[in-house]
Amino acid sequence: MAVLKRKKKQDDITAAPYTKATFVTQIIMTILAILFLSPLAIILNYSFKTKRELYLNSPLSLPEALQFGNYVKAFEKLNMQTTFLNTLFYTAASVLILALLCGTTAWAIARGKGKFFKFAYIYFIIGILIPYQALFLPIYTIGYKLNLTNTRHGIIFMYVATGISFGVFLMNSFMSTVPLELEESARIDGCSVFRTYFSVVLPLLKPAMATLIIMQSFQIWNDYLLASLYVSKKQLKTLTVAIQSLFSAQTSDYTTAMAAIVISVLPIAILFLSLQKYFIKGMTVGAVKG
Amino acid sequence: MRRKVVSAMLLLSMMAGLFAGCGSSTSESTGGNTGTAKEEGTEASDSSDDAGDEVTLTVLAGQSTTDAGIEDMIDEALAEKYPEVTLEWECVDWGNDFQPKMQQYMQSGLPDIMIGKAQDVATYAPLGVLGTIDDTYLDKGLDAARENVTIDGSTYGLVYNALYQGVYYNKTMFKENGWEIPKTMDDLQKIIDDCNAKGITPFASHMVDTWSIGNVTMQFMMNDVFNHTPDWGDQFRDGKVSFSEDKNMQTAYQYNKLIFDNTFPETFSTEQTDCDAKMVLGEAAMKVSGSWSIQNFLDIDENFDFGIFPFPNQTGDSKLIFEPNITVMTSAATKHQDAIDKVLDVLTSDTELATEIYDYTKTASMLKDVSPTFENPSQEDIDKYAASGDIVDVTLGNNQLVWGGFQEENAKYIASWLQGEISFEDALKASDDRVGASKAN
Amino acid sequence: MKEKRYLGMEKKLARQYFILIVPGFLIFTVGLIIPLFLSFRYSLTDWDGMSANMKFIGLKNYIDLFHDKEFIESWWFTVKFTIGNTIIQNICALLFAVALDSGIKAQKFYRAAFFIPCLISAVIVGFVWLKMYSNVLPAINQWLGTNFNFMLFGNAKTVLGGLLIANNWQWIGYWMLIYLAGLQSVPAELYEAARVDGAGPVKRFFHVTIPMLAPAITICVVGITTGSLKVYDLLISSTKGGPGRASTSIIYQTYTTAINGRQYGYGSAMTVTLVLMLLLVALIQVKGLKNKEVQA
Repeated sequence: MAVLKRKKKQDDITAAPYTKATFVTQIIMTILAILFLSPLAIILNYSFKTKRELYLNSPLSLPEALQFGNYVKAFEKLNMQTTFLNTLFYTAASVLILALLCGTTAWAIARGKGKFFKFAYIYFIIGILIPYQALFLPIYTIGYKLNLTNTRHGIIFMYVATGISFGVFLMNSFMSTVPLELEESARIDGCSVFRTYFSVVLPLLKPAMATLIIMQSFQIWNDYLLASLYVSKKQLKTLTVAIQSLFSAQTSDYTTAMAAIVISVLPIAILFLSLQKYFIKGMTVGAVKG
Repeated sequence: MRRKVVSAMLLLSMMAGLFAGCGSSTSESTGGNTGTAKEEGTEASDSSDDAGDEVTLTVLAGQSTTDAGIEDMIDEALAEKYPEVTLEWECVDWGNDFQPKMQQYMQSGLPDIMIGKAQDVATYAPLGVLGTIDDTYLDKGLDAARENVTIDGSTYGLVYNALYQGVYYNKTMFKENGWEIPKTMDDLQKIIDDCNAKGITPFASHMVDTWSIGNVTMQFMMNDVFNHTPDWGDQFRDGKVSFSEDKNMQTAYQYNKLIFDNTFPETFSTEQTDCDAKMVLGEAAMKVSGSWSIQNFLDIDENFDFGIFPFPNQTGDSKLIFEPNITVMTSAATKHQDAIDKVLDVLTSDTELATEIYDYTKTASMLKDVSPTFENPSQEDIDKYAASGDIVDVTLGNNQLVWGGFQEENAKYIASWLQGEISFEDALKASDDRVGASKAN
Repeated sequence: MKEKRYLGMEKKLARQYFILIVPGFLIFTVGLIIPLFLSFRYSLTDWDGMSANMKFIGLKNYIDLFHDKEFIESWWFTVKFTIGNTIIQNICALLFAVALDSGIKAQKFYRAAFFIPCLISAVIVGFVWLKMYSNVLPAINQWLGTNFNFMLFGNAKTVLGGLLIANNWQWIGYWMLIYLAGLQSVPAELYEAARVDGAGPVKRFFHVTIPMLAPAITICVVGITTGSLKVYDLLISSTKGGPGRASTSIIYQTYTTAINGRQYGYGSAMTVTLVLMLLLVALIQVKGLKNKEVQA
């Protein structure tokens, strides 16, 4: 239904006349878009300069020669093959677990009758508001007592714990799109709750899943605080943490840092550009349904 | 398409899982041998599988200035002499992250080896968590290194290198303008006036970094306060002296203003590298700083000629500031004392490694019979002050007024005062109010 | 008979649903709720975060908070930052969305251009703007021969503005997408009807578009406020709370108090106030905005 409506609207747009006002809007937006992209262009520009150029030339000048050496150095300093794979692994694993857990939890909350389920919903939602940034020491204490610190499963556990609130909220707002009749007929066929979920509900939730996966991916990919808390060992470090250490060193090596930024942003930007449609759909689900 | 997304993610995660080895290494000690370490194919961890009594030590390194990178040098030297010992490094920024990490580890048990600064010994040793260092290793270091890391007769830290702090000056510029090394504030003021008359910025500074304000303030305090009241910090806690009342302390704070009035107008937006670049390019004559600037100076222009002198004080007897830097501490509860000793042995007896580290960090040696080989234009000046005994160890001040929670916070108020946000009295009072946080324990 | 079997089945179902909730419930509780309670417990002590000694001191920490100028100042900064963000981000995002929805060509390109900054970690965003203000923009001055003060992070009076620009640069695109989706879900017939009634574009915007966007507005307002109240990552690589203490947010202050200042109990009390504040703000907003939605 929503898809249909959108199509219609889009047809309207193409039918709408391209007036003078539209043209002015186009110009303004183009200027704004350039302004928005310029910091990124600057990063890219910096990342190809030599250290000396950075001091002596104007920041706006183009590099005298493309210094790919900065990238090589960034690769080494970031311990790239390790940190990159670490980040990828933590992100992928956490997000998959989140998708699984949030789907079942939200569904059970939506379908279960009784006070407990109502309470459970509020309980999870409160989590969205808890600033885990401010709880880092107890979070560490708990993690250490459960042997979770400086382990891969520990950080994944924490990403799941901090991401589940939002996931449940998101999934819950999708539940109304799952027709009850289908579930009931499945149950009459003798399916258990679990079977019903996996064979009937889950397929219908796929768009929501895609949303959740995408949104959480880039949050976890960019996380700094939890990663610095839980996986600080060299061979467990993530990209963002490694990059931050490039910034904080007193003799900041900016050209290398800039190259490192490009390296870390690139994968997530490519992911976004190629899956733009899903990103947008996913992020906007709540906005349309309310 | 949707399915594609989901399966793409699945595929990605599976790939990552494959590369990263088992995703759930349980204990900390095995973490080093599984997973990505193997992926990298480090010789040490490969061979460690069949060696009989191989040990992995955990190391927390709080690095600052220019230390980042020495871990690889140590690894290499260690692998040569004691291949059975592997170090599992955790390198963090000393100023921002060392204390939080230590705080975490106080709850879960300290790493076998910690590398921090000399002042950390005063913070952690009284809690009974640090192990003593054997004389075998301490004897290879300079005696001066032991003083401030010794508590009640036991030494808890091995000081490995040192920094010098003072005013770095452009030698060529000083020669061209006929400026002498200033001994008193009047001398300095003359140079400042001459600079201003000639359109040269007297001081390069980067006050955007709060730490740099805190650092220079301690330099001032050393020469104007601690030189004649060595236990000022203890008296401060006893309520005998205070920032609001002590004229000498106020003078030390006021020097910040002198610098602020005679530096780049945009100092609160100038970072260290830019500041050092301006200094090298001849835009400024002097910079109150420490050895960490040398690397920057030489990076920008390897022929830059500079020297160092102590920031003058009221009495005209100021000394060059000396700061023990890399300090190795060990855990009292370690299960691998033998292996730790092997590491200490490599650090203290491998002169090649030591020279490599000193040259890389551009710092001074704290080991007997080892001296760095890098070209340091300011060495001449340092030797001069060393010969006449005009050198003072800043650990004295840092032990009494701690950095985190005190000096660092004071520096923020000094910045607010310089910017005209608060009055000088407010800045002093803020320091007095913080007395409870002025010592670690 | 039938009734009873139905009830039995309900019970069984409820149990199964319950089992489905358990794992998530446990992880969430252990990972977030228990630390929250621990934090509350610490807030009643004078613990320094390191030693084994911990003395129960009741509500003393909370009482001290009221006299703590630094604490109040950091709240004041956080509130200013939050209000600024909520206003600017909502208005800009909505305007951007309307502009993109007005039939301009290459909508996709603009969408991507505005959205990409929010894919970057806030730590990096802070660093990038630090360089923008201190090096890049002043160079533009030289280039144009103008004399704007671009060094916004360098002065206590302008640092808030500088951080707002950085934060808005990062997030406008995100909220814009949400508004865009809201706009595109407004049925064309409604506009048509309003047009027939003789409503001009401005009137149509306020009487059709805004009410229809109510759910999107709720999401954006709540999201922006709670997000801004928690600002921390952006600061650590840019202003570090400075110059002086001018940009010290409440989380930043908590961190420096609890860790650098070795006053863990006291810092925990700050955390608790922040959590309460967040809950309160979200509650008021959701209630208030939901009421508006109903009216519309």
